[in-house]
Amino acid sequence: MALLEVRDVTSGYGELQILWGASLTVERGQLTALVGSNGVGKTTLLRTIVGQIKPWQGKVFFNGQDVSKLPSYKKAEMGIVMVPEGRQLFTGMTVQENLEMGATPKRARAKAAQNLEKVFTIFPRLKERATQKSGTMSGGEQQMLAVARGIMAEPEILMIDELSLGLAPVLTLDLFQSLRRLRNEGLTIMLVEQNVRMALKVSDYAFVLREGKNEIHGPSKEVEQNASVQAAYLGI
Amino acid sequence: MIDQLLASVTDGMLVGVVYGLAAMGLTLIFGVMNVINLAHGPIMALGMFTVYLAYTSLGLNPFLGLLLAAGLGLILGVIIYWGAVHRVIDAPHLSSLLSTFSVNMIIIGIGTAIFSTSFRNVDYSLGIVTIGPITVPGTRFTSALLALGITGLLYLFLYRTRPGKYVRAVSDNRTSAGLMGIASNRVLALSFGLGTMLAALAGGLIAMALPFTILSGGSYELKSFVIVVLGGLGNPIGALLGGVILGLIEGLVPVFTKITWVPVIEFVLFVLILLVRPQGLFGAKQ
Repeated sequence: MALLEVRDVTSGYGELQILWGASLTVERGQLTALVGSNGVGKTTLLRTIVGQIKPWQGKVFFNGQDVSKLPSYKKAEMGIVMVPEGRQLFTGMTVQENLEMGATPKRARAKAAQNLEKVFTIFPRLKERATQKSGTMSGGEQQMLAVARGIMAEPEILMIDELSLGLAPVLTLDLFQSLRRLRNEGLTIMLVEQNVRMALKVSDYAFVLREGKNEIHGPSKEVEQNASVQAAYLGI
Repeated sequence: MIDQLLASVTDGMLVGVVYGLAAMGLTLIFGVMNVINLAHGPIMALGMFTVYLAYTSLGLNPFLGLLLAAGLGLILGVIIYWGAVHRVIDAPHLSSLLSTFSVNMIIIGIGTAIFSTSFRNVDYSLGIVTIGPITVPGTRFTSALLALGITGLLYLFLYRTRPGKYVRAVSDNRTSAGLMGIASNRVLALSFGLGTMLAALAGGLIAMALPFTILSGGSYELKSFVIVVLGGLGNPIGALLGGVILGLIEGLVPVFTKITWVPVIEFVLFVLILLVRPQGLFGAKQ
């Protein structure tokens, strides 16, 4: 059974429909990428999965359980954790406090000390900045903190929206490598990216979203070789 | 003259920190959820009546009566949040203004029916405190110390406890708080309750110093607005300092001119601050 399954979801904001029947599955232990151009509904799909907006039709299953209608804080409690686009840190709070707030779910509370050590190992920079207000850090450091805060929540699945947005390529590469390491340690990750090339390089499996629907999916290596994907996203 | 000035300054500062405590309640709620609580004044009045009734009917020391006022303020705030604020929390400001104003009218209506609008006072004395050349009523001195103590506790709560950090996190970024598993709605209800608790406490402290009616909250609510603008919206320490400034104005103006000039000066200051430094003297919430 897939860890996460999204089945024929339609959704949007007010009158504006964005998703027109999107489906995907995420297998436990894999790094799955959801790619597509700007404005096709990737973020909307993520927000529907975590419960920030409710699906109009269709369902979201987590561990086989229907979680379509649950609010986001309950989903976080279950282990569905999102690192939102634009980081959305608690900018007036220190790095340490942001990480503390990450460890809110009960399942995370017990492992807080252990997870703190883990994120400080992956991102030693955060340890140096522990007492600094998060809003005063550089974009790259903030993105590290956003991912670290997500890890503190002891996720079953960590969903990351636009990791590379606004970051220098070197930093992006670093962060992608950290994700790869986390995946190798057993964390299930879903990555939403505009940077299709990089996302396909780093992921195991990929879904391509176009106009609110799935277009193609398959192992990332195969998707990368797909002629229409190459033409549309990879400039080959 | 110098003695009179010194006495006025002391008196103004002692009253000012209590005003500051009330304003802190208003600013806390605004800072966390961008709602201006127009039921602030009547809740202060309920704090006054709680202390008064506990003292006159139960014979409870007014300072112990404050505990009842605090409890009532907290519970009432949580009820008001769920009943009148929760549904309009993301609506335009006018909705939450109207809805908290309705609560204001309901409390005043019921309060007037029960207590009428005649003046009450808490006839309780702690003697006189003498510091050098200055003498002040003991209750006023104790009230100011308590107001400072409560401010300290509020900061300990917000910066040192987990629920307090949730309040700051929700205030900082409600969406993210939800993503981290924080039940934002409950945190908002708690924050609203804390704000009204501070209002009720300030009301209880004022009741020991001055006569009051069920309608007295209104004028203190206006003072709270002036203070909050002085100190910067959403900045609790700014509120305390703003309170002291307002207290000083109230203490010092009558030394030089008629006491009727006090509100004129206060509100001219209010408008000037809004025009010249809308973020307040001590900076608003980022």
